[in-house]
Amino acid sequence: MMRAILVKRNDPRSEDEKNELQMNELRELAGAAGYEIIFEMMQTRHPDRKYHLGRGKVEELAQVVVDLRPDKIIFHNPLSTMQIYNISETCRCETIDKFQLILEIFATRATTHRSKLQVELARLEYELPRARAVISILKKDERPGFMGLGGYEDSYAQDIKNRMTRIRNELETIQKDNESLRTHRHSKGFSLAALAGYTNAGKSTLFNALVDENVESKDMLFTTLLPTTRSLKVEGRDILITDTVGFIEDLPHWMVDAFRSTLDEIFLADVVLLVVDSSEPFETVRKKLLVCHETMWDQLQDVAIVTVFNKIDLITDDELQEKFTGLAYLAPNSVAVSAKTGFGFEQLKSEIRNILPEWKRIELIIPLSEEGMSLVAWIYDEGLVHDINYTDVISIDFEARDKVINKAISLVNGLS
Amino acid sequence: MFDIIAVDISGRHKVNNEYLMVCAAVAVSVTADHIEKVNQMALRSFRSRSAPDIQSVVKMVETTVSELKSDGVIVTEAGDFYNKPQWLIDSMFTRDFKYQESISERRCIEIAHHASLSSRKLLLKELDIQ
Repeated sequence: MMRAILVKRNDPRSEDEKNELQMNELRELAGAAGYEIIFEMMQTRHPDRKYHLGRGKVEELAQVVVDLRPDKIIFHNPLSTMQIYNISETCRCETIDKFQLILEIFATRATTHRSKLQVELARLEYELPRARAVISILKKDERPGFMGLGGYEDSYAQDIKNRMTRIRNELETIQKDNESLRTHRHSKGFSLAALAGYTNAGKSTLFNALVDENVESKDMLFTTLLPTTRSLKVEGRDILITDTVGFIEDLPHWMVDAFRSTLDEIFLADVVLLVVDSSEPFETVRKKLLVCHETMWDQLQDVAIVTVFNKIDLITDDELQEKFTGLAYLAPNSVAVSAKTGFGFEQLKSEIRNILPEWKRIELIIPLSEEGMSLVAWIYDEGLVHDINYTDVISIDFEARDKVINKAISLVNGLS
Repeated sequence: MFDIIAVDISGRHKVNNEYLMVCAAVAVSVTADHIEKVNQMALRSFRSRSAPDIQSVVKMVETTVSELKSDGVIVTEAGDFYNKPQWLIDSMFTRDFKYQESISERRCIEIAHHASLSSRKLLLKELDIQ
């Protein structure tokens, strides 16, 4: 197991509680990336341009590195290329920030071609603004004269841009395939639901419990990186439910862009199930809900949201009620469930059913013939049959989308 | 449903040696994820020789909001108050105040932003200021 030192700079006059939450999240992220935390360091001050922390604190950190010999120093705060270089030089240890840590986690978990491309794109997006500076710092002693490395610096940045374009094109092809698959699913009468929420809210556990599946679910951040879709029957209606990657605080825009094809599963759904870990303290739940709203608000268009308060087996009724009332302004259509015990699933399904696009109900008389029977079989596939009677004719009472009803009427007219 | 007043200020940069700002306040009824009704809107223009500090931003917001008949919590982006903590800014207002949180609050501020930006553009055009 790799060993790491965690470092965080707190803004002066920032809330202790918030700082502790952020540090805790960094601990969990480091754990998810497979690091053993051997030391933690915090300093409260405004950022230093050269070292981010104060120079004295970095020298203290260098001494700790000599004593404990960690593999990496992980900063919670975003670092500039110059700061990374200066800290690494002083401490003689590889230094990364939170975003690089997230990228590391994604890189180790990426198994499919698509997710590998997404991780590579995110890495390049992160690297691009730093490309010129990195080369400039690394080769600063090798400048032979006027305009020394100019050409080389540019060609490196250009190379990164070319690679990004190539990956984007490839991802676009995958995205188009997904979009046509989504349209196909819509036209087949499936409504789409997506599980969204902060990382480690229990989305995968809820998904497994709802659809009786065995998607990997762990008490760890970013267990899910690739969306998985399964069908679920909700009061007679078939919906496709997708488990997605979780959100995290300060997720940078370039990362949202890189994982766009994953996040599109959320943005293009008919219903978003916003999963919340209700066993956490009120303020934590509120902050995590805030992050979800912030990540989704710009992309969601006319999509209904159901807020699922998960893990209610771990709290009392009073605590739940307090969260329901206090968070009403952030939690639309709240439902309390426990993915572990199955409590509240029926209410969740009925809430989803209420939000799904309306189906019409109609009664048809179909001739009792071979073609008539195949039409009945088709209606069973596409809609929800409430009643059927076989006499000299078949009278069927069913509910379905407009398109299916119109097609059924024209087919019946053709038969009779 | 909750009543809020979303506020945004455009023009907080120097043009011809002065700051020509437009503040838009939109009174809205919202749920957590949807805007239910836009009740009223107020627009006010402000001129200043110096860059707006926190107190003058508070004053601009209070003046614009006072023109609305509707009640509600004033909601703005944190950047409008130089990312200062909410409790500090809240203590400077005579009404309830908070930073944007939910999807609907963010959408309302987007409306206020479009209103203030386009009315400022119109004003600059009418006054023939480049």
